[in-house]
Amino acid sequence: MSQLETATHPETLKRVVIEPLTRVEGHGKVTLLLDEDNHVHQARLHIVEFRGFEKFIQGRPYWEIPVLVQRLCGICPVSHHLAAAKAVDMLAGARQLTPTADNLRRLLHLGQILQSHALHFFHLCSPDLLFGINDAVAHRNIVGVIADHPDLGLQGIRLRKYGQEVIRIISGKRVHGTASLPGGMNKPLSLQHRALLLADIDQIILWSKGAVDLIKKVYLTNADFHQRFAMIQSSMLSLVTADGALDLYHGGLRAKEANGEIIFDHVDYCNYPQYIHEEVKPWSYMKFPFIISKGKEVGWYRVGPLARINNCDYITTPLAEVERQQFRAHANGGLVHASLAYHWARMIEMLYAAERIKEILLDPVTTGTDIVAQGEEKLLEGIGVIEAPRGTLIHHYLVNDNGSIEKANLIVSTTNNNQAMNESIRQVAREYLDGQTLTEGLLNHIEVAVRAYDPCLSCATHALGKMPLYVELVNCEGKQVDCLVKSSTGEITKQ
Amino acid sequence: MQPEEQTITLDGQKIPFQPGQTIMDAALAAKIYIPHLCYHPEFKPHGSCRLCTVMVNGRYESACTMPAAAGQEILNNTKELNENRRALTQMLFVEGNHICPGCPKTGNCQLQAVAYYVGMLSSHYQHFYPYRDLDPSHPDYVIDFNRCILCELCVRASRDVDKKNIFAISGRGIKAHLIINSPSGKLEDTDFAVGDKAAFVCPVGAILRKRTRYTTPIGERLYDQQSIRIVGDSQQLHAGATKYGRK
Amino acid sequence: MAANKIRVATTSLAGCFGCHMSFLDIDERLLELLEHIEFDRTPLTDIKHCGPCDIGLIEGGVCNAENVHVLKEFRKNCKILIAMGACAFNGGVPALRNHYSLKECLEESYLNGVGVVNPLIPNDPEIPLLLNKVHPIHEIVKIDYFLPGCPPSGDAIWTFLNELLAGQEISLPYQAIHYD
Repeated sequence: MSQLETATHPETLKRVVIEPLTRVEGHGKVTLLLDEDNHVHQARLHIVEFRGFEKFIQGRPYWEIPVLVQRLCGICPVSHHLAAAKAVDMLAGARQLTPTADNLRRLLHLGQILQSHALHFFHLCSPDLLFGINDAVAHRNIVGVIADHPDLGLQGIRLRKYGQEVIRIISGKRVHGTASLPGGMNKPLSLQHRALLLADIDQIILWSKGAVDLIKKVYLTNADFHQRFAMIQSSMLSLVTADGALDLYHGGLRAKEANGEIIFDHVDYCNYPQYIHEEVKPWSYMKFPFIISKGKEVGWYRVGPLARINNCDYITTPLAEVERQQFRAHANGGLVHASLAYHWARMIEMLYAAERIKEILLDPVTTGTDIVAQGEEKLLEGIGVIEAPRGTLIHHYLVNDNGSIEKANLIVSTTNNNQAMNESIRQVAREYLDGQTLTEGLLNHIEVAVRAYDPCLSCATHALGKMPLYVELVNCEGKQVDCLVKSSTGEITKQ
Repeated sequence: MQPEEQTITLDGQKIPFQPGQTIMDAALAAKIYIPHLCYHPEFKPHGSCRLCTVMVNGRYESACTMPAAAGQEILNNTKELNENRRALTQMLFVEGNHICPGCPKTGNCQLQAVAYYVGMLSSHYQHFYPYRDLDPSHPDYVIDFNRCILCELCVRASRDVDKKNIFAISGRGIKAHLIINSPSGKLEDTDFAVGDKAAFVCPVGAILRKRTRYTTPIGERLYDQQSIRIVGDSQQLHAGATKYGRK
Repeated sequence: MAANKIRVATTSLAGCFGCHMSFLDIDERLLELLEHIEFDRTPLTDIKHCGPCDIGLIEGGVCNAENVHVLKEFRKNCKILIAMGACAFNGGVPALRNHYSLKECLEESYLNGVGVVNPLIPNDPEIPLLLNKVHPIHEIVKIDYFLPGCPPSGDAIWTFLNELLAGQEISLPYQAIHYD
């Protein structure tokens, strides 16, 4: 158990809560326990949401799953749709897609990466980076960015819009469309749509490059602070291609130690249960995954842009590769561990996504019409793993002979970062909050650390507490709709 | 003797009818839409969903069972009738489990299309969230009882056309539910087959072909661009009939 | 400047943030909208609690005690409360858990899951109590307007807000209303 995770005598301490966490997706809160001299004894990030997808999709036919489970998340629905689709391909016995379908899925996913990274950087985090952590609450948001830097605000809006348009064109809707079928896709890309997307892509690449330059400048201008803030040493996990390149749609699992040594490499992701387990802790609905060989105390790791840029040997697109080399050179050949370097890595990925979108659009195969592969040997177990914007995303389904889901396991990107986010806020608590009189600006330091991970807390929630012990749900006419009571043993009953 | 063409008046418009036609038949032949869910031109009318309730000479009647008669003054597309229809549709939504975002029938679903037509923006009532299971036992079809609206079209199709009598409604009132006539109660123990009429008539997502789902892209589904008033019923299209009932 | 702006608060309860994404899908029109509105509590600002507002937009149904609390805070503070999206409308996909008992759902995730270590059901006082069922928000508070869809499109939200701000009767084109 890490330092500051659990106080020895919580009953003697005062509690400070940051609730709800803002400028993140989903529901979370941070609690701090402090003694009389404001020394921090406990800091926890709680994920306060539970949805139960793993249970309620049981019994559903597997071909509904990609459309159903994308509702886990409105920011990265495409990643859930495609991770489930890859699992469903196995169930349908059609794992080998046609080249056109493969390109279309990759294009769809790159649109997702582009829009999600743009959203996170411009709409959610840029205020902290541009205005500073102590900026006034009323100003510290996208509206403030638009007011002070209208060109930059507009670029963010348009970058996100472009990614959303890629998604809309391929899946019919910007959020929660339908695209994947077992073994392929439901619609080819028309030449008109290809032309539409190509018309703007050079501008998008240029703006993406500009975003990398901006974050690099901001980061390096105050390099000591950005490197130290919420910095933790950790292992890293991501998918890489067979020759070690960055790939966000497919690959083998690679994990590196904090010092850069390989823990495992090119692992077939279908074997993930032999490498990763999840621990449950009573104070969060989000589980705590860890690498089995390292054990639950120290086996936690980080995923997402920072892990991916650290883990890959190279990037296939030219502009992003130059940026990757500069990023890595900054750590003198070692892994970059600064939490705020996530922002830098994220923008390098956005540039990669823009460059790859252009490559795929220019590939004549992309506008082909052979988009569904026929099934061969159907399996009763399907596993799909993808690099979602926030990191490695695992969907795992078992079905019966009727095609109904019997069991499901979802390890969502943000869940993989659970312990890392907790470690980061403890680091911030130690360095900036300990012994201080807590102000709003100081508490925002905690949120800045959480935001670096771009957590998707509604994705990650798979409720039950000691308090309140009694919940009564009353409708607008004052009539009781639902009532719950929790006993001292934790058992919930309905009255 | 050539009889004079007989007419009824529907919302002020004179439309012809043939002897033996119901108000619904005459309206469809004249391409006038009267909302309905349990009506299908190939089956004996049932009059159970009550959506087609119209005002005939001042009285409420179901258009699908009421014979057309010369001189009838009928109100159909009125605010009051459509508000009643909206309430009925809302009741159908809360009585079952109609989670459109996760349903393969979405975009082609007649319940959804009728709800759009009557301007349903909320379910208004308190949801029942009944516990109902799926029957995935058949190799080619899955029955999702959550979405059944008790229109009995599958019952009638299986009994009257397929001559198999596979489906039935059991229980009364709020406990009424669709059952499958086999010793196990499972579809796999019936002779239900891919070509059956009953496989095509479900207006909602309760009887669905396995695996072939989400093939029509969003934007191109039956009710994506135009109202059911214009494009007609989904199951008739599947069955190869014209958009407006019988030829 | 801010005095005559319409004050808008938004929140996501048991939703996926897809409706908020659709809100941002008005794209560049956000700049125009910001000339007429200002944000109170939303996931885009650091305002943690809703103050007096003209309009409140609610995404998601109600699945836990915290959702109920936030929903009531919004109803108390917002002159006009709008239910946005399928989950607010009828619980949406999260309401599929209503087929199971809460106990079954929790046990599947925390006791019987693949590769679960230290199986236990989280029960700390800091995490909110779950309701047995997921409920649409109109069962809890009075809702003034509904905008269905999973999510409603950016265009639908744009048209809706414009007509509302202009004091017109809301009239959306056929294609703008869908439940999926």
